[in-house]
Amino acid sequence: MSTQNQNGYLLLYRSNEWYEALSHEELQKVISQNKAWIERLTAQGKAKPGHALGRKGATVSGKNGRLVSDGPFAESKEAIGGYLLLDVETIEEAIAIAQNSPSLAYGTSIEVRPVAEECPLDVRARELAREEQLANA
Amino acid sequence: MSTQNQNGYMLLFRGTELRKSLSPEEMQRVSEKWMAWFRRLTEQGKAVAGNPLEREGKIVSGKDRIVSDGPFAESKEAIGGYFLLDVATMDEALAIARECPGLPYGIRVEVRPVAGECPIAAEVRTEAQFAQI
Repeated sequence: MSTQNQNGYLLLYRSNEWYEALSHEELQKVISQNKAWIERLTAQGKAKPGHALGRKGATVSGKNGRLVSDGPFAESKEAIGGYLLLDVETIEEAIAIAQNSPSLAYGTSIEVRPVAEECPLDVRARELAREEQLANA
Repeated sequence: MSTQNQNGYMLLFRGTELRKSLSPEEMQRVSEKWMAWFRRLTEQGKAVAGNPLEREGKIVSGKDRIVSDGPFAESKEAIGGYFLLDVATMDEALAIARECPGLPYGIRVEVRPVAGECPIAAEVRTEAQFAQI
């Protein structure tokens, strides 16, 4: 994997509703820690806007999008609770930032993904076309 | 669920690994349709951001801040990209999700309201208000 990326990285937060189990005081503490952390990253120019997502939503699937189901389910540990876009150039730096996230201590896991320059489908279609050319040569 | 939301909606595309099931020409066609769709939504002022994600990534988790590989591209749950929509209702966001050119190929679109502030902070404030009553 290339460790250099001009397009930044996306952090996806996955967790269940862990905050339901905390006391008011504990919650307040995590919230201030998190706020301070994001403010610092923003001031350093490393974080672009990020947002929490409402816990409820819907999933559209099937041909012509005929199937609409509830979900993701808030109780699921895999549910995405929010995202943060990072303006850093290497995955090492993005990982180091993710490792400082205050919510890790409460069971949240953070997915770190390079933002792609172009659609991976296009890249793959080009690769396949090149392979076919070579095979025919 | 409230269907009105000032902060917009996020579309998360799952199961975008189509490399095994499509020919290069088909892939090219889906990709072109997808870009035209995004361009139209942007021109209409309905899409404000959107990006594909590289397939490889890492996952950071636990008190020990362990780094592991993943998510795995083959997983049907893996997220391949996102759009941020500036529309005011869930119905409008769902109508846009239904237009996704990847749906016939098994891609699923998760539609989520963007929170104006962290829902945890909102909850703490509500609790504090109740405590004062």
